[in-house]
Amino acid sequence: MQQPSPRTIAIDESLAAQAKLKVGDRVTLLARPAAEDYAVMTATPSGYTPSATPPETVIVAAIVRRGADPSQVARGDLLVRMHLDQLQEISGYGDRVDRFAIATKPGLRIGQLLDHINDVAFGFRAYRSHDIAVETSRTFQVVSRFHRAIGVITIVASSVFLLCIMVLKVEERRRDIAALRLMGISRSSIVKSIIVEAALVAVLGSILGVALGWAASLFVNWHYQGLYRTPLEFSIVTPEIVAVAVSLSLFLGAAAGVLASLRLVRTPPLVLLGR
Amino acid sequence: MSEATATQDVHVDRVLVSLRDVHRDYPLGAERVHALQGVTLDVERGDYVAIVGPSGCGKSTLLNLIGVIDQPTSGTVEIGGKRVDQMSDWEATSFRLRNIGFVFQRFYLMPILSALENVALPMAEAGFPKEEQRMRAAELLEYVGLSSRERHRPSQLSGGEQQRVAIARALANRPALLLADEPTGELDAHTGAEIISLFQRLNSDGATILVVTHDEELAGAARRKIHMRDGRIVDGAVHP
Repeated sequence: MQQPSPRTIAIDESLAAQAKLKVGDRVTLLARPAAEDYAVMTATPSGYTPSATPPETVIVAAIVRRGADPSQVARGDLLVRMHLDQLQEISGYGDRVDRFAIATKPGLRIGQLLDHINDVAFGFRAYRSHDIAVETSRTFQVVSRFHRAIGVITIVASSVFLLCIMVLKVEERRRDIAALRLMGISRSSIVKSIIVEAALVAVLGSILGVALGWAASLFVNWHYQGLYRTPLEFSIVTPEIVAVAVSLSLFLGAAAGVLASLRLVRTPPLVLLGR
Repeated sequence: MSEATATQDVHVDRVLVSLRDVHRDYPLGAERVHALQGVTLDVERGDYVAIVGPSGCGKSTLLNLIGVIDQPTSGTVEIGGKRVDQMSDWEATSFRLRNIGFVFQRFYLMPILSALENVALPMAEAGFPKEEQRMRAAELLEYVGLSSRERHRPSQLSGGEQQRVAIARALANRPALLLADEPTGELDAHTGAEIISLFQRLNSDGATILVVTHDEELAGAARRKIHMRDGRIVDGAVHP
């Protein structure tokens, strides 16, 4: 009689890396839920024989990459995808489940369906997947707000720094500005030239900053995607972010130029020359 | 027209700068410093005047008043027959742009601009067309002997060359009066002599020059020397 070929499972990249497994390897699935060294899978050959469940040798048929789910990044779970009957058997729960998902056809009135299920099923609650996603992503919303707050503080601090730099740079040229005023160059011309210069410096600075941010973003993604074995993007530089950065920089640069230059052109040229 | 009136008109036309009983006081704490005390002075068109005297005698204050940078406490200042002692800041700025060229001890050239662009700067402010700016700036640089340095930035020029660019810039809008404050102060003797020679050439070509200096050679090259002491002109107020 021909021996039935072993069944297949799929494991995720983290498990494959940690257990040094590759496609085609044979492993033994077993479970000992009551024991401290709870294990679901061990590499074959294994001396361990579970008392409740006979060991089953399976073949690693695929190594899958996890989805970009931020809630799974820090957990460190190792995932095995197996056939449902295998799972039922190895878990010991049989056909009992804590939760399950239902895919619906487009156009269905989900709200009514949820109300109906929740009315008729005692001790059971149905949710929209969207609501669950919102609920589980609250932590990330807090993190996102925290990042936004850090961003705002950074922008405010950078603005003050930029203004101070501009004031100092313009202050260094007080004698040049005095000479221009004595030559008959109007205040408005001087202010305009300083604003243009400040705006150019700000835009060039922001372009440099965007390039640096983009490179840093690549590095952060490369590092953490490798560390957590996830396709999740930890850092993104979108065209909107670039547009906001350059616009904000342009505005702040011009504003700093105005403040710095007005301060000097309102001072009499002779005072600027120290006479 | 009577003969007296005609003489007066000719005189008015000939005199470019006229100061009458000019006083300038500065507050210094609770006291007042009398920087100028009743200065009366005429400078004729085409003149080359050097104002000399010890430090603190009022030379620079006098130059500031003639340059419409400062206003007298009392008295009148006229340039080209126009009262300039009561001008607003905007009027004074506009007047300086079109009528007065300044040469400073330090050159105050814009470091990011070329020599040509520095010379063209006052013309740009005055609204001259770009081509005219470029042509006149090139002519002026040729006049001061720097036609080969048009594209050079100030940092690529020597001190004497920078001062010549500054002089060319001062002449850009064809000013009626060229004012210079210690123009050789930052230069060595040889380069200073070149600037003195340039001033003489400018004057012989018709420029009216008024220079404040401690440099005996520069003062000696002027046609007229005015000595000041304690805020007063002690010698040279009257045209010879």
